[in-house]
Amino acid sequence: MPELTIAVAKGRLQAEALALLAGAGVAVPSDALSSRRLAVEDESGRYRFIFVKPADVPVYVEHGIADCGIVGRDILLESEADLLQPLTLAIGRCSIVVAALTGVSLSDAGMLRVATKYPRIAAAHFGARGRPVEIIELSGSVELAPLLGLADCIVDLVETGRTLRENGLNVIEVINESTGRLVVNRASYQLKAEAIGSLIGALDLAAAKEFES
Amino acid sequence: MSEPLSKIPSGMRYYFGQEARLRRTIEETAMTVFDGWSYEEITTPTVDYYSLFEHGMGRAEAHRAFRFTDTDGRLLALRPDVTSATARAAATLFAERERPLRLCYAAPVFRQQPQSHAEWRRESTQIGCEFIGANTNLSDLEVLAIASEFLQRLDLGGNYSITLNNVEIFNGVAERLALDPSSREEMRHLIDVRNAADLERFLKPYASAEDRRAFAQLMQLSGKRETLDWARRVISNARSSSALDCLEGLWTVIESLDLTTSFEIDLGDVSRLDYYTGLTFKVYVNGAGARVGSGGRYDGLTASFGKAEPAVGFVLDLDALIDVLLARAKDLPGTRTPPRKAPELADSDPSALFLKAVERRAQGERVLIKSGEV
Repeated sequence: MPELTIAVAKGRLQAEALALLAGAGVAVPSDALSSRRLAVEDESGRYRFIFVKPADVPVYVEHGIADCGIVGRDILLESEADLLQPLTLAIGRCSIVVAALTGVSLSDAGMLRVATKYPRIAAAHFGARGRPVEIIELSGSVELAPLLGLADCIVDLVETGRTLRENGLNVIEVINESTGRLVVNRASYQLKAEAIGSLIGALDLAAAKEFES
Repeated sequence: MSEPLSKIPSGMRYYFGQEARLRRTIEETAMTVFDGWSYEEITTPTVDYYSLFEHGMGRAEAHRAFRFTDTDGRLLALRPDVTSATARAAATLFAERERPLRLCYAAPVFRQQPQSHAEWRRESTQIGCEFIGANTNLSDLEVLAIASEFLQRLDLGGNYSITLNNVEIFNGVAERLALDPSSREEMRHLIDVRNAADLERFLKPYASAEDRRAFAQLMQLSGKRETLDWARRVISNARSSSALDCLEGLWTVIESLDLTTSFEIDLGDVSRLDYYTGLTFKVYVNGAGARVGSGGRYDGLTASFGKAEPAVGFVLDLDALIDVLLARAKDLPGTRTPPRKAPELADSDPSALFLKAVERRAQGERVLIKSGEV
């Protein structure tokens, strides 16, 4: 029986997270990874990994089904889940930005239409500035919205900025920087203190090593 | 289109069968323990003025309540907690009574907005007690001993932990650093989510690298007596030190009761600092994703009802406990109590039938009347 269950966000962050874990001495067998299994154990049998959609990581961890998770800060800001965040990991670095078509001024509009996958972050950002906005929630290809006239601007995650540029969009404002985070369930943190403490220690050390090299 | 009658509002549910029996048993266990420590049961109104809860719980918490208006236009709420009304009763109804007051309850509470995403219930049963009118380590110890005895009596296999802290430790540090309200909240948040690295960065203007690291680690880890020794090396202001003395006093008694396996000192527990004024504690049970109970000292509470006096108490979430106990009953073979079934009674003469049934009932036997044919 594995000591800890760790939820890892699939996609962007997954490869980097697994590399970091390997550096911390937690190796996931490559045959298990290449299979389509969504729950695998590491070589020592101490940890069980589940691979879920990024937005589901806080859900699994908050319910205590997974003890820990590795997920981007963007997802945590959007989910408002009540989780411990003991470690900031230097992986999956990106920004959450406001972007609009080149040459478009947002200050003229009385009411902004904002297309985004992050309705809470967007509402909080414009709310703090007293800007009335209509949030249009999309689940992908947000960059299309201003091009086709669905929205005046978008709030989205930007890694290199290439997708934005290729669609004629410019970053107007950076709302937040985001990197991967280790999140921990509050009850697991107390009841499995030893196992979680050793995982935090190992990841911290691995992250420091990576930083030096 | 009309709503189907089968639908019930989200966050509400039925209780029946094994679960309903277990709930009753746990409530009775709690009441037996409270009675054993000389606590008197109190039931507070299910519907009360909304302003009561604003005073008693703070605006943010009270806001979660179901609200509606009385015939005179005043705002009412379905009680979101029991403590508020108990504190009001202590300050008004029981104002002349001899102190201390020892009160306990087991009652459903209602929240329109759950506290977290993991908590889907909008009705849950709170089991709790209040010790009002004494501000000593003895009253703190008394409620801890009660919580501990109750948890021991449940079939949890020792899989629980009670973490202790004193809010004055944090308050002393924040005062010493002369933090403004927003930086104070930032430090509290970083401690609360156990983000040691960002906490160290936050403290940069205030302390040496060595002290920062020590403080951040101290706030991240929980432990036994050594946590207090360590804290004394890192934190030296008078306010925090006297809070550490209080915790140490409690810990010494916990050691002599041989209860150290189920208690931890967790200086990073800094939730609801505006509410608590001294000791705070949280109850965690293996198998429940969130904490199942919390408690502490709230000496400021009864003052809002016109009679300032010290108070300490705790509340446990019966529903969270039941979830764990049911899951354990499934895991442990042979512990599931099958529904008892009594032999059927039948007689063509209804008088004879019920005479038989009433006689058996008088013996305390369980009966089942065969129905259908008369």
